[in-house]
Amino acid sequence: MATQIVMDTTGDTRHEFDPADAAAVAEAENRFRELTGAGFTAAVRKADGRSELMRSFDPTAKETVFFPPLQGG
Amino acid sequence: MTLEEALLFIAFVLVLILCAVLPCLALAEIVARCSACLARHRLKAEQRAFALLKNWLSPEQLAQYEREGQFEVIGCHSGKRYRIRRARNVNIDELSKQGSRVAVWCFGPHGYLPVGDVMLAQKIALETNERAALQVANSSH
Repeated sequence: MATQIVMDTTGDTRHEFDPADAAAVAEAENRFRELTGAGFTAAVRKADGRSELMRSFDPTAKETVFFPPLQGG
Repeated sequence: MTLEEALLFIAFVLVLILCAVLPCLALAEIVARCSACLARHRLKAEQRAFALLKNWLSPEQLAQYEREGQFEVIGCHSGKRYRIRRARNVNIDELSKQGSRVAVWCFGPHGYLPVGDVMLAQKIALETNERAALQVANSSH
């Protein structure tokens, strides 16, 4: 199973999908497009605490986190 | 005024007072319950966010976070060292090679997110897209 984690006021909302399920993958891709289209950053977790920006949808990514656009504080 | 009329008047006033006080008491009870519910909701969100943050930290960052409540990251473009402290704002110190603070940066994700989420977004931004993050940030040197 792969997980998309969207940061929000509850901490996060998680969406799990089976990369072998075409319908679930399409739904996950739509979610990716909607969120990144709204300015969210998508990053995938790599080994040892490294992360990588995800500029296009990758159905093989195990864990992707989305956070809202950055702003100065 | 007869005694009967006086008693009737007193009863009327008491009913009026009750009509005014009871809704206030009920409202106070509702507000108290909502506040407690909100506090529970926020605590749960913070716990969730810190659990997520810990999952995404490197072993060194996690050890430092557990020890000090803060952790260091390396900017992907400049190679500079930053210390992310446990706070929502003004919590990113740029460090010199000797480890002393040379600047304070402030940026974070839009909206009211739990502190753990803010710190994770700051870590990812500095480690993967430092220039873009600093472009929107405010700083003091």
